[in-house]
Amino acid sequence: MDVRATSLLLPDGVTASAAAGRLAALVAVAAQRAHSVDRTYWDTFDGRLHRAGRALAQTADRLVLMDAATHAEQASAEHRAAARRLLVGDLPPGALRERLAPIVAMRALTPLARVRSRLLPIDVLDDLGKIVVRLRVEEPAVVPRGDGKLALRPRLHVRGVRGFDDDFDRVLAILTSQAGLREAPRAVLDDAISALGGTVGGTPSKLRITLDPGQRADAAAVTILRRLLDVIEANTPGALADVDSEFLHDLRVAVRRSRALQRELRGVFAPEPLGFYRDGFRELQALTGATRDLDVQLLEFGDLAGGLGDGAGADVAPLRRLLERRLVAERGRMVAGLRSARTRALLAGWREFLDGLGDAPEDDRPDAARPIADVAAERIGTVYRRMVKMGRAIGDDSPHEALHDLRKKGKELRYLLEFFSSLYPPQVVRPMVATLKDLQDVLGRFQDREVQADLLRALGDEIAAMGGGAAALMAMGVLVERLAEQQAEARAQFAASFAQFAAKPQRRIVAETFG
Amino acid sequence: MTKVIALYNIKGGVGKTSAAVNLAWAAADEGARVLLWDLDPQGAASYLLRIRPKVRGGGRKLVRGKSDPATLLKGSDHELLDLLPADFSYRNLDLALDATKRPTRALQRVIGPLAGDYDFVFLDCPPAISLASESVFAAADVLLVPLIPTPLSLRTFEQLSGFVAAEVAKPRPRILAFFSMADGRKVLHREIMDALTATAGGAVLGAVIPAASDVEKMASRRRPLAGFAPRGRAARAYGALWQELRPRL
Repeated sequence: MDVRATSLLLPDGVTASAAAGRLAALVAVAAQRAHSVDRTYWDTFDGRLHRAGRALAQTADRLVLMDAATHAEQASAEHRAAARRLLVGDLPPGALRERLAPIVAMRALTPLARVRSRLLPIDVLDDLGKIVVRLRVEEPAVVPRGDGKLALRPRLHVRGVRGFDDDFDRVLAILTSQAGLREAPRAVLDDAISALGGTVGGTPSKLRITLDPGQRADAAAVTILRRLLDVIEANTPGALADVDSEFLHDLRVAVRRSRALQRELRGVFAPEPLGFYRDGFRELQALTGATRDLDVQLLEFGDLAGGLGDGAGADVAPLRRLLERRLVAERGRMVAGLRSARTRALLAGWREFLDGLGDAPEDDRPDAARPIADVAAERIGTVYRRMVKMGRAIGDDSPHEALHDLRKKGKELRYLLEFFSSLYPPQVVRPMVATLKDLQDVLGRFQDREVQADLLRALGDEIAAMGGGAAALMAMGVLVERLAEQQAEARAQFAASFAQFAAKPQRRIVAETFG
Repeated sequence: MTKVIALYNIKGGVGKTSAAVNLAWAAADEGARVLLWDLDPQGAASYLLRIRPKVRGGGRKLVRGKSDPATLLKGSDHELLDLLPADFSYRNLDLALDATKRPTRALQRVIGPLAGDYDFVFLDCPPAISLASESVFAAADVLLVPLIPTPLSLRTFEQLSGFVAAEVAKPRPRILAFFSMADGRKVLHREIMDALTATAGGAVLGAVIPAASDVEKMASRRRPLAGFAPRGRAARAYGALWQELRPRL
């Protein structure tokens, strides 16, 4: 039930009081007292609030969620500024937390920009003297770290009042046609971020790559791999500082995607330097694996322990302590590895290699000059058929590894479809992605439950030696049993998901599109 | 969870509308999202908020579910306080309700779809005990009863408590009272307030709204007290009443 609102740019050099004077000549207004507000805006690293059209501002003692463009308040709570990061779970229960949680999820909020504004509220009144439209002149200035401030374009926020839409339309028409004001193309916050030299909208880890079907395969590979390297580098500082668990997750996904492309498009690279980088990326993946596994264990710990019921949930407290201790140790190892000269050299060398690929000899790069649409289609078709073959060979007695291997292949197919979806008709790609996703969910649950159960088993001895270890061990026994049940459920769902994925109509479409 | 608070008394002229408007404003001032429904055909609450007492389609359509209440709301001069205005047709609300299925649930059906958008819904009810009041009793979590400290008011409070206990289906609203238009200089007022507070246990709130000229001025200023005398005795009393009431909701 949000009211109508917009923001208009004021011409350069027009002060708030001059604007108020001009408005008074056009409509019946009552200007309030001008005041200053000092706001620090927060968002997640990947700009989730920005994408949702919201802004979160910390004033002296309140945290306010508002519409990014019009600054219409949507929820707020008393809150003193956090130092460097803020998790939704740190906020007191209430409307603000409820509104933020679905947008921000597990990501940490960090400060983006501090903006000091002079605000002049001006109310438009009807014949009864009632407020029917709210106007706010804002003269913002961004405050960089250190001293000074940079003035930003002043603007006029126009906000309707519920039930008085006609007045909103009338006032907006006057402001745009008679006063000649134009809608502000960007929010104050975006202007502030630009003025500070930052990236408006954060740094999403999504690929969003559009390729030309006739493009050389090596050039297309470089485009994708460069973007993936950007994601790795952008997420490294946050992963090192442990701002939130998603930095490491996004870093790992980008490494895994890079490895998939290195393997699937190996014909566009010369074998030798490629072998070196494939080894390096495999090490990078291994370096971060244990920390991520423990992150996931701890993120899911509440759900896992919650399922134990009254009392038993508390019994697993030693397990949590042990996982946290392990995480500290693993994280230390990972941080040292990520900061090492070896990793830095690997990533710098990889970028240099990608930059020079276009000029490299083509004798041992048979796919380099072929159109990417042909090369990618071959790979998608091959991986799909391989998966069908692997899946068909899986029976009730097949070892777990057979399903794990199929999942790995599935990830490769998923990445290929993500990289190259722009080259093929959506009506072909979408159903393929949908059935693949279902299958991967089942296979993922199957494997994750096994990994979790293995980890619990491996911790048994250590837990037994801790205070409260006996009760924890018994509760862990229940957990392992429950994980085994869930794994069995996923196993039972495999046949149906695979049948959908490998159904005849789908096989036919894949054959027609990808050869 | 949205809480519905009905300002109600069988008697008129006891300060229901003043309390509804000032308490709703106080709640909004704290950051809560508040709806005030002016159910009185005289439209005094709408008048005080400078909003025309007119509802498209009238009360009949509204209680029959033929109008979408969300389209009838008007924003007040407080950004977090909305009004569902009065309409002169509310004088026939009993007739309109009588023609609906389960008339005592009719107001609840109107409020239901709006409830998620608000933390508090205040109902400014007309005096009388009627089918409309029974629908109010079914919709409200709390009946907040202003009492002028006179022997007759006390009698009506007892009548109301008895009626709700005997006639209203569960879950019944809680009944809380407060003294309104009280004159601390009058011995009778003081004695009655002491007596009822002693006998009614926790049902009588401690905050007392004085008989103050500021409250009368609301009608000429067409504003809640916060708009023209925010630090006066009466405004402070409503603030104290809200502070006392809120944790009990």
